[in-house]
Amino acid sequence: MMRAPDAEAMKAIDSRLFEFADYDASAGERAGYSNYSYWRSTLGMFLAKRSSRLFLWMLGILLLFTFVQPFLPGQRDPTTIFNDPATGMQYRNVPPGGQFWLGTNSIGQDLWARIWSGTRTSLLIGLSVGLAEMLIGIAFGALWGYVRRLDRVMTEIYNVLDNIPTTVLLMLLAYIMKPSFQTMVIAMCSVGWLGLARFVRNQIVIIRDREYNLASRCLGTPTRRIIAKNLLPYLVSVIMLQTALSIPGTIGWEVFLTYIGLGLPVSIPSLGNLVNEGRMIMMSEELRYQLIFPTVLLSIITISFYVLGNAFSDASDPRNHT
Amino acid sequence: MNSTTVLEVRDLVVKFRLRGRVLTAIRGASLELYEGEALAIVGESGSGKSVFTKTFIGMLDQNGWVDSGSIDFEGRDLTRQRTEGEWMGLRGRKIAMVFQDPMTSLNPLVPVGRQIGEVLTLHKGMTKDQARSAVVELLDRVGIPEPASRSRQLPHEYSGGMRQRAVIAMAIAAGPRILICDEPTTALDVTIQAQILKLVKALQKDFGFTTIYITHDLGVVANVADRVAVMYAGKIVETGTAEEIFYDARHPYTWALLSSLPQLGVKGQNLYSIAGTPPNLFNEIKGDAFAPRNPRAQKIDFEYEPPMFEVSPTHHAATWLLDPRSPKVDPPPAIQAMRARYQGRAS
Amino acid sequence: MLRYAFKRLSQSLVTLFIVVSFVFLLMRLLPIEGYFGDRFQKMSKEAIQAGLQKMGLLDPWYQQLGHFYSDLLRGDLGVSNIYRRDVPITKILAPRIPYSVGFGLVAVVVAMSVGLTMGVSMAKHKDRIQDRLGTFYIVFAHAVPLAVYLLFVQLYGTSLFKLPLLFDKYQPLSWILPGISMSLNGIAFYAMWMRRYMVDELSKDYVKLARAKGLSSGAIMVRHVMRNAYVPMAQYLPAAILTTIGGSIYIESLYSIPGMGGLLVDVIQRQDNTMVQALVLIFSSIGILGLFLGDLLMAFFDPRIRLVKGEGSR
Ligand SMILES: Nc1ncnc2c1ncn2[C@@H]1O[C@H](COP(=O)(O)OP(=O)(O)OP(=O)(O)O)[C@@H](O)[C@H]1O
Ligand SMILES: [Mg+2]
Repeated sequence: MMRAPDAEAMKAIDSRLFEFADYDASAGERAGYSNYSYWRSTLGMFLAKRSSRLFLWMLGILLLFTFVQPFLPGQRDPTTIFNDPATGMQYRNVPPGGQFWLGTNSIGQDLWARIWSGTRTSLLIGLSVGLAEMLIGIAFGALWGYVRRLDRVMTEIYNVLDNIPTTVLLMLLAYIMKPSFQTMVIAMCSVGWLGLARFVRNQIVIIRDREYNLASRCLGTPTRRIIAKNLLPYLVSVIMLQTALSIPGTIGWEVFLTYIGLGLPVSIPSLGNLVNEGRMIMMSEELRYQLIFPTVLLSIITISFYVLGNAFSDASDPRNHT
Repeated sequence: MNSTTVLEVRDLVVKFRLRGRVLTAIRGASLELYEGEALAIVGESGSGKSVFTKTFIGMLDQNGWVDSGSIDFEGRDLTRQRTEGEWMGLRGRKIAMVFQDPMTSLNPLVPVGRQIGEVLTLHKGMTKDQARSAVVELLDRVGIPEPASRSRQLPHEYSGGMRQRAVIAMAIAAGPRILICDEPTTALDVTIQAQILKLVKALQKDFGFTTIYITHDLGVVANVADRVAVMYAGKIVETGTAEEIFYDARHPYTWALLSSLPQLGVKGQNLYSIAGTPPNLFNEIKGDAFAPRNPRAQKIDFEYEPPMFEVSPTHHAATWLLDPRSPKVDPPPAIQAMRARYQGRAS
Repeated sequence: MLRYAFKRLSQSLVTLFIVVSFVFLLMRLLPIEGYFGDRFQKMSKEAIQAGLQKMGLLDPWYQQLGHFYSDLLRGDLGVSNIYRRDVPITKILAPRIPYSVGFGLVAVVVAMSVGLTMGVSMAKHKDRIQDRLGTFYIVFAHAVPLAVYLLFVQLYGTSLFKLPLLFDKYQPLSWILPGISMSLNGIAFYAMWMRRYMVDELSKDYVKLARAKGLSSGAIMVRHVMRNAYVPMAQYLPAAILTTIGGSIYIESLYSIPGMGGLLVDVIQRQDNTMVQALVLIFSSIGILGLFLGDLLMAFFDPRIRLVKGEGSR
């Protein structure tokens, strides 16, 4: 049976307490759950993870340094070939340390300067591609979703492009156009916008069908509110994720295209060119630093973008919010 | 109704760890379950009904644990069971559970008959062939037409009602002592709801198990329950026979809950809904958890937690209103009207 | 099942037709040097025009397409222009197919078996050491470009384990590195998705009910969860085949395997248009074949697809 209330303790209670209390209707609300802001929650969850903060700092510092490096004192030009004043010969394959921090390459260029310059080039490609993919993806996705008559055609286009292995399509496009910065960017966007377009299209179709569905319009929240409150944050976060992930992807493609000879001209330092130069001499142990330095930097960049992108997408998923 | 206790829960406290913080979902709930009865646990969403009953079969989510209290069943304290092995002798065999949504309760890729058969081979030591024919009988018993061919079908070939019947067949297959139905009909439409409830009632009679219904729907309660326990913010705040709860409720929360019944609404008036939200379970609650939402709370409600007062030997409620020192508070008009109607009918 | 397969097959054929036509037309934009090779520099404008005329490249596009298809039906992919001048492409490709198919199949099988096992084990031991290590590997394999980390496989495989640097069909030891290289990415891919699906399935209601029935977690894992998680995995088979193709192009070239992938790199570098065209078309067709097989496999595992999703477009 239920235990009887403890009689002694009960008597001890001040009887004045049995008066009515003032009722404050909002107190009942306040006791409950706190008000919720999507972006604050997302940011909070994102920053709560130690690894996210670490990578964010690392990437931030790295990016900052990449872009201010040429303006720092004592930096060399990445494309100048340096000669030894004593012998008049090129400083070929000078090992790291000493005069050249990271050594020189096989024709006497400063590896340190080349690595940062290459990173700038590759990031520039990455950002341009990411941005372009975003614009194309959203534009096509919106058309695809909104204009019903286009649906079949667009779906067919999507299927065709989706059925060709990305690598092959990319090689083909780069082959048709002449190797250059623009070629690189155009080829990579042409294969990259697909996923985002499809995503945008699906989201729009969901909303569009709601508009046509009278019952759900009458019963539910107004569409505009849904768009502003649910769709937009979701869309923005997915787009940010895709853009973040397209950077490591782009860097990878650049390395690959350079390998098959469709990359940037060798005169422009890029991570792809550096890795490729390093690859050619990688079998000789004392020259291997020329491969290792650029790949380490490249890996740090791609891993940071990848990890941060995923951490952000986790944090932005409303299902993970408290 | 006989009054042998099958299961007794005392001062159960259940906590969860959620992103580094600890929340208390069940804060000292006590309950007795009598042999052969049908008990309904009612309460708002989030009040802890599911968590409460899940502790009976050791199925709290990974991040939760029983912090204190006891659950006595067949001379054992279930809160002391730790290993999967101990639980497995109990789950499905002694205490079975039916969940809310029959659409997702069955594995979509395994034939229904095989899923029921698993219980028989596991708990009754049947061979696969024995199980197969026993399954057909069970399906027939729960009212599935053409049970032999139906048992070979996949869940998606069943309608919602039929799936819930299959789930019920699965639950009773091993002849459990207690059947817990967690919102068994919420996902179904009204006519089918009634059929399912009738089925469980009939099965209860045949098989002699004890039933716990968890529900928001007081209509369901009125139909099937012998006794009702009202849960609020992780505590049982009032228990009594169905009649006592419907016509002589004492706890302000029970009043609020009853007033929100659509049947009680006056035509042309908005449906009553309980103002405010349940308390945040992360915070410590002082006094009566319902006090902030109770327009006629007393000062003491904010200071001390009310004990269980006895209204009758079968009826208990945890509210300071039952203390002789409290001013007299009448139930809200809707409740009074209901009580009057009942008394009119009774006399 | 047969009806579904047939329907899906006819769909694939339509897609194949569209893709092939699309790629073929895209090919009309190839730089014209690629039809002549070194001679191009020395040729007069008229000679070039005459050459193009002879190859039928100045005809209207629909005529070219028609020719292409009628040749294709006779099993004729044209002749190489530069790589091996005037040799029929089918003759060049034939001896190379076994290498690519062999390595491709090995890669898919190894990646699937290792990746799925890894994913299952990660899901089973979620948040414990197995999961952590696996996640580390997956992040690494996804974030660091294939073109970069495969270099290191080659580099340290040869310098630390003394494995041969280049492929030699008479020396089985030399098959190891390219085999591993081809599977690495797929392993990460399968492990990631398998883990995700297992974790998803484990949180489903039917698992709760199975537990409430009294089934042990091992039995639930084997009889319910794993089985269900394999179904959506089937849809990744095509994607895995597509990435394997992508990887094979790089790896075959890296290890000088005489397959079709390495050949594509070769003929692109040497600008042999007709060869590029043939290979691109072949790789695209394999992609479509992969999608088709993936869908069949899904339908095989999940009977609901045959009934409900009869339309079958993904
Ligand atoms: N795994 C968990 N982790 C953290 N909190 C949990 C967990 N499971 C339940 N809770 C919390 O415990 C409280 C009670 O949940 P429970 O599911 O028992 O409510 P309920 O009364 O069954 O509600 P409903 O009627 O909606 O099913 C809720 O506030 C919920 O947030
Ligand atoms: Mg519940």
